[in-house]
Amino acid sequence: MSIMELNGGSVIAMVGKDCVAIASDLRLGNQALSISSNFQKIFPVTDRIYIGLPGLASDVATLRERFRLRVNMYTIKEERELEPETFAHLVSSTLYEKRFSPYFVEPVVAGLSKLPTSTPESPKFKPFICGTDLIGCLNFAKDFIVCGTASEKLFGVAEGLWEPDLEPEDLFETISQTLLNAVDRDAFSGWGAVVHVLTPDKVITRTLRGRMD
Amino acid sequence: MNSLVSKFSSSTATSQLKQAKKHLQQEEEEYGEPAMWGSAGGFGNMAAGIPSFQIPAVADPTSFLRLHTDDAADPSCRIKIQHGTTTLAFRFQGGVIVAVDSRATAGSYIASGTVKKVIEINPYLLGTMAGGAADCQYWETYLGIQCRLHELRNKERISVAAASKYLSNLVYSYKGMGLSMGTMICGWDKTGPRIFYVDSDGTRLKGDLFSVGSGSTFAYGVLDSGYRWDLTDEEAQELGRRSIYAAGHRDAYSGNSCNLYHVKEHGWTYLGNYDISKLHYDGPGDVPGSAGHGYGYSERTAGLSSANDPAPSTENAPAVSVQA
Amino acid sequence: MEVQFGIVGKGYVIMASDTNAGRSIVKMKTDEDKIKALSPHLLMAASGEPGDTVQFSEFIERNLRLHHIRYTHPMRPQSAASWIRRALADSLRSRKPYSVNLLVGGYDASTDSPHLYWLDYLGTLVEVPFAAHGYGAYFCLSLLDRYHNPEANLEEGLETLKRCVREVQKRLIVGLPDWKIKVVDKDGVREINLDL
Repeated sequence: MSIMELNGGSVIAMVGKDCVAIASDLRLGNQALSISSNFQKIFPVTDRIYIGLPGLASDVATLRERFRLRVNMYTIKEERELEPETFAHLVSSTLYEKRFSPYFVEPVVAGLSKLPTSTPESPKFKPFICGTDLIGCLNFAKDFIVCGTASEKLFGVAEGLWEPDLEPEDLFETISQTLLNAVDRDAFSGWGAVVHVLTPDKVITRTLRGRMD
Repeated sequence: MNSLVSKFSSSTATSQLKQAKKHLQQEEEEYGEPAMWGSAGGFGNMAAGIPSFQIPAVADPTSFLRLHTDDAADPSCRIKIQHGTTTLAFRFQGGVIVAVDSRATAGSYIASGTVKKVIEINPYLLGTMAGGAADCQYWETYLGIQCRLHELRNKERISVAAASKYLSNLVYSYKGMGLSMGTMICGWDKTGPRIFYVDSDGTRLKGDLFSVGSGSTFAYGVLDSGYRWDLTDEEAQELGRRSIYAAGHRDAYSGNSCNLYHVKEHGWTYLGNYDISKLHYDGPGDVPGSAGHGYGYSERTAGLSSANDPAPSTENAPAVSVQA
Repeated sequence: MEVQFGIVGKGYVIMASDTNAGRSIVKMKTDEDKIKALSPHLLMAASGEPGDTVQFSEFIERNLRLHHIRYTHPMRPQSAASWIRRALADSLRSRKPYSVNLLVGGYDASTDSPHLYWLDYLGTLVEVPFAAHGYGAYFCLSLLDRYHNPEANLEEGLETLKRCVREVQKRLIVGLPDWKIKVVDKDGVREINLDL
C-alpha cells in the first residue's frame, strides 16, 4: 500500500473566464476503512488564493500550519497582499526543503492574480492555477490540475468536460460533475465533496451531495 | 483394377471417402469434440467426470501457482483476481435472507458497480460470490449441473448439505492451486432453510448467520445487534439491506448497490436492487419493512447537537457568543 | 489486539478501553488502565507499541500540566488535540517515532460542548462523534453509524457502548473480558463500573 493512498482523497482545480474553481472530496480513510466524511483538504490562504492538499492526512495538517505561518510572516514583512504566483513558489520551496524526507502531499494552488493594469478603483484579475509534485516541482497549467488517488480518473473526465472561458456558474457545474464522476470510480476518494469558485468580488463555496460508499 | 491397386488409388469413391474421414478426424483433434465448444456451454469436458484443466508444466504446479496467484499477503504477484466484497446470509423463522453488494475493484479502481454476486444455482439454491469472480461463477454453475443430475438420477432434489459438500470436496481437490472463493450456499430442502459457508481452503460450516468479504465485519456489526430468530419477513429484509448498506458505507471496496433475495419453502425470490447512495440519503423507498428515511448517520442525526445548553449565568456578565 | 472506543453524547464523552497487557502469547496483566486523565476535563486513551504508549501519555500529561501552571487555565480540548497531533507528527520524522494511536475526549467548559478526537501514530487528527481504534473499529463503526445518538443521555450512551463491547466480544477472535470505562462531562472526569 502506497503512503500516498493511505488516507485517500483527491483535489481538482480549473480555470474559467475571470474565475477559478478548486474542489475536493471529503473522505478520510485508513486504507479501506473510512474514518471521517468531513475532512477538509482545501484551505483559504488569502481572499484570492486557495490551496488543496491531497495526500497523507498528517502532512496535510502540518503543511497547512506551515503555510499559514509563512504567509503571515511574508505579509508582515512585505506589508502587502501575497500574489498566487509568489505563493506557488513559496509552496515549492517549502516542499523542496524536505527533498530527502518529503511531505507526502501534492498541493494544488488556485487563485486570482492582480494584473499590472489593475487599480483600486477598477481591479483586474487573471486566473491562476498550478500544481506541484511532492518535492515541489511546479506545474503551471492553463486549463486544469488534478491530484490525489483519483487523479487518473479526474484527468479522463476533465479532458472531456472542460472548455475555455466558462462563466462562474458553468465552471462550478463543470468542476462538480468532473469531481463527482471521477471519484465514483475511485475506491479511496468520495464521501461528499466541496467546491470553491473564486471570482473577483466573491468566493462561492458549496458542499456537494456525493455518493456515500 | 485389382483390389490392391484400388486401395491406393486417389480417384475412386472409396478412397475419397477415406480421405474425407481422415480430414474430419484431424479437425476433431484440433477443435475437440463439439460438446466442448458448443452445446454444453463450456462444460462439455465434464463428460468424463470432474473437468480437467491445463496445469502449468512445471515440477511442482501447486507451489508455482501459489507464488504467482493473487494473494492478500502478496500484492506484487502476477495473476490478479478481483477482490473486495460484502455478502451476507442469515436464517430466520421465515426462511433465508441473502444480500450482497455489487462493487468490483482492481486496486483502487472501481471496475464495475453492477456485478451480480448472487449466483442462482437453481430455483431452490443460491450461491454468493466473494473472492475470485470467475472461480465462483464457474464452480457454482458447475454445481448447478451436478444438482440437476442428482435430481434426475434420484428423483428428488439435492439437500443443501449435499450440494455444499459437493462444492467443498471439489474446491478442496484444487487446494493450493490459487482458487479463491468464499461462498455461502443457501437454500430450502426437506430439513427447512439451510446455509452453508464454503471456502477454497476447504472449510465448510453450517450456521444461522454468515457474512463474507472485506466488508463483512461492518455487516456483522449491524447484523448481530438486529438479529433474532423470530424476525418477521419485512424486518429480516430490512436488516439485510441495512447491513449491506453499513458495509458499503464504511468499506472502500464494497458498495454501489445491494441485491436482496429471500429464500422460502417454494424457492427463492429476488426482491430487488437498492442503490447504496439512495439508501444513505432517502432509504429503500416504498418497500415492506422500510424505515421511510435515509440510513445515513448524517441524515439520521441532522440538526442534533451534543453541546449542553449554556449554563444560565448568575452574574450580569456580557454574553459571549462562540462560533463553532 | 487492543480495542478502544470513544462516544460523544449530550454533554459528555465516554471513553472505553480493554485492560489487557500482553507480551508474545502471554497475558501479563488484565487490569491495565489505558485511559489517562490529562486535565480536569480531558481524557486520552492510548494504544499501540507497548512502552511508547505510557511514555508518550506521560510526556503529553506533563506538558499539558505545565501549560496549566504557566497560564493558570487548562488547554481546551481542541487546542490540546492540535498540540498532541503536532507532537506525534514531529515524532514521526524523528529517529525513533512513537507508535501510539490515541482517542482524545474532553469537555470544553467555555462552549459547554463535548469533543472527541481520533489521532493515529502518523499524526492524523480528525474530530468525530464516535471513534474506535484497533480491530474494534471494523466491527463497531457500522454499529455506531446505526445506533449512535449525539443527544443521548449518559445511560443511553452506555447502552450503545455495551452494544459495541458485546459485538467485539462476540466476533473478535481474542476474548476481551475486562474493560475500563471513563466519562468526562461538565463535572470533570470519573470512572464508571459497568456490568458488560
